[in-house]
Amino acid sequence: MTNSHSPIAEMSIRAATPLALLISAYLLFAGHNNPGGGFAAGLVLGAVVTLRTLAGLQEPTYATALLVSGVLIVIVVAIAPLLWGDPLLDMAVISIRAPILGTIKSGSALPFDVGVTAIVVGLIVALLDGLSDPETSDPAGRGNLERNS
Amino acid sequence: MSALVALTIVGPLVGAALGLALRRNSQLRDIAALLGIGSAAVGSFALLSQVSANGTTVVRVGGWAPELGIILVADLFAVLVLPIALAIIFVVEIFAIGQRRTAWGANPELAGPLLGILTSGVSLAMLTGDLFTLFVAFELILVSSYVLLTHQGQAAQIQAGMTYVVMNLFASTLFLFGLGFIYAATGTVNIALVAERIHDLPDGVRLGLGSWFLIVFGTKAAIFPLFSWLPDSYPTAPTTITAVFAGLLTKIGIYAMIRLHTLTSMEELGPVMLVIAGATMIIGAIGALAQSDVKRILSFHIISQVGYMLMGLALFSEAGLTGAILFLVHHMPVKTVLFLVGGLIANAEGSSRLRYTGGLAKRSPLIAALFAIPALSLAGIPPFSGFVAKLAVIRAGIEANSTPIVVAALIAGVLTLLSMAKIWLGVFWGPSVDRSDHNHPVSGPPGNRRTMYAATSLAVAGTLAISVMAGPLFDLSERAGAGLRSPSAYIEAVNP
Repeated sequence: MTNSHSPIAEMSIRAATPLALLISAYLLFAGHNNPGGGFAAGLVLGAVVTLRTLAGLQEPTYATALLVSGVLIVIVVAIAPLLWGDPLLDMAVISIRAPILGTIKSGSALPFDVGVTAIVVGLIVALLDGLSDPETSDPAGRGNLERNS
Repeated sequence: MSALVALTIVGPLVGAALGLALRRNSQLRDIAALLGIGSAAVGSFALLSQVSANGTTVVRVGGWAPELGIILVADLFAVLVLPIALAIIFVVEIFAIGQRRTAWGANPELAGPLLGILTSGVSLAMLTGDLFTLFVAFELILVSSYVLLTHQGQAAQIQAGMTYVVMNLFASTLFLFGLGFIYAATGTVNIALVAERIHDLPDGVRLGLGSWFLIVFGTKAAIFPLFSWLPDSYPTAPTTITAVFAGLLTKIGIYAMIRLHTLTSMEELGPVMLVIAGATMIIGAIGALAQSDVKRILSFHIISQVGYMLMGLALFSEAGLTGAILFLVHHMPVKTVLFLVGGLIANAEGSSRLRYTGGLAKRSPLIAALFAIPALSLAGIPPFSGFVAKLAVIRAGIEANSTPIVVAALIAGVLTLLSMAKIWLGVFWGPSVDRSDHNHPVSGPPGNRRTMYAATSLAVAGTLAISVMAGPLFDLSERAGAGLRSPSAYIEAVNP
């Protein structure tokens, strides 16, 4: 995306990526009972995507797919309880006893949060895509200016 | 019942998601957007018949208690206004499908999905029973409206969009502060619980909160002196977008104001609101007279008309609220239709400036007829719906012995009629203007034009239907008004 590549920035972003992904995943699961959740996870993930795009490590793609799948997941989780006669957005809770981790409590809140994450990341990717695409600029030629400079 | 409530909010969102996914396929995309908005509209009409027969429906989202969770309350006031609002968006989406292939059309890949998101926000704003969800709904509406207003990227739109965004963000920030104050004072943001607890507060705090939200919702509703953002921003957007904004956005502000201020019994603010209402009416109407562009004249009318609704609320009587509700129901479709006709004028003449138009009645009598009916209705000429609504508001004013506001309302009515005559003289009568220099009439394929005419005619028929059904509508508004006057029923329904 940028013309001048900085190897320092590139290397440090490469190194930071797995760590940030881990934080994002932690926030996603912590959101059930603690501060965190799908929105916060999406923001961290979006920050990773933004940094990597700025450093030229990846292109902002799949915005529409992320947005659409996110909205559809959220809506399905929201209205599914109506089929069983439960109120809108009612959450099913599952407890699993795992060997090392102890009791894991989760449920339909998890896919809901994943959907929210997908929406947030999708929006950020769409923003990056819109900012970097000269074709979407106005006919007055601002886009051409940017390309020439 | 609970499924119907969910449908009005979720239906348009599904339509928006599918419309976005299918955005490269214009037919499927349009069908998805129309189905989403249409299903919500049908659901809201079903909700109206259910609620008017069986009384208020309350949906506890996720099954949480009112103190903790989101509550959706479909009372008569909500389900009376909601179907009209959703039907308007549906008609405008049809118009947009016809218009989009011309220079004034909104970008079809964005307009359909974003109108869906806006629809969902409108449903949520009207049905929600707690203030924080109301805030979220406002943001949902605003965020999609920012994009709709500016997505064509023309300089005038960006400039107007700046004012619009800054004013609305300012109001949203005040809203958030107000939420904090209410939570600090009453320990809840559920409207019914707030209504119950607010009477334990000292008068100063209670009226302070009331005035705070008068400013918040007043900015959204464009009341005097907070209206400056409206006439600058609305006319720059594509016709379809302006039509939706004009019909709905300010009215959501008034709706929220009616909801909150009646439930919390802010009678003491009545006199202040009456003064604001009178000033809003007169200044809006005078502003309209001074303009020389169809869209700008119509934008100033919005302000003037909001004054009437505020007047109905400010009287804090059953008759006044009935009038305000009736005015809301009448005003939303009429205003939208007028802007759609404004779009037809711009399409036929290549401009909506009075200087560059003329003699359209001879060349296109259909546009003249489509304009005349809602224009007379807006000015309050019998037998159209505007007459009934204005009569109800003014009669409430006379009942309450508030002579000044009644006089102001009558003067504003005459001024409105005058500015409508100005449009009529400038656009439909007189000689045809030489259209060589300034105007670039846009003639798309006839199929598109037919869609636009069909949508506008459908909307005009809708406003006529409101005039014909004025009797039953008046009864329903009276019941809704009575419900608002005695908040105990609402509180009882939410928190039994």
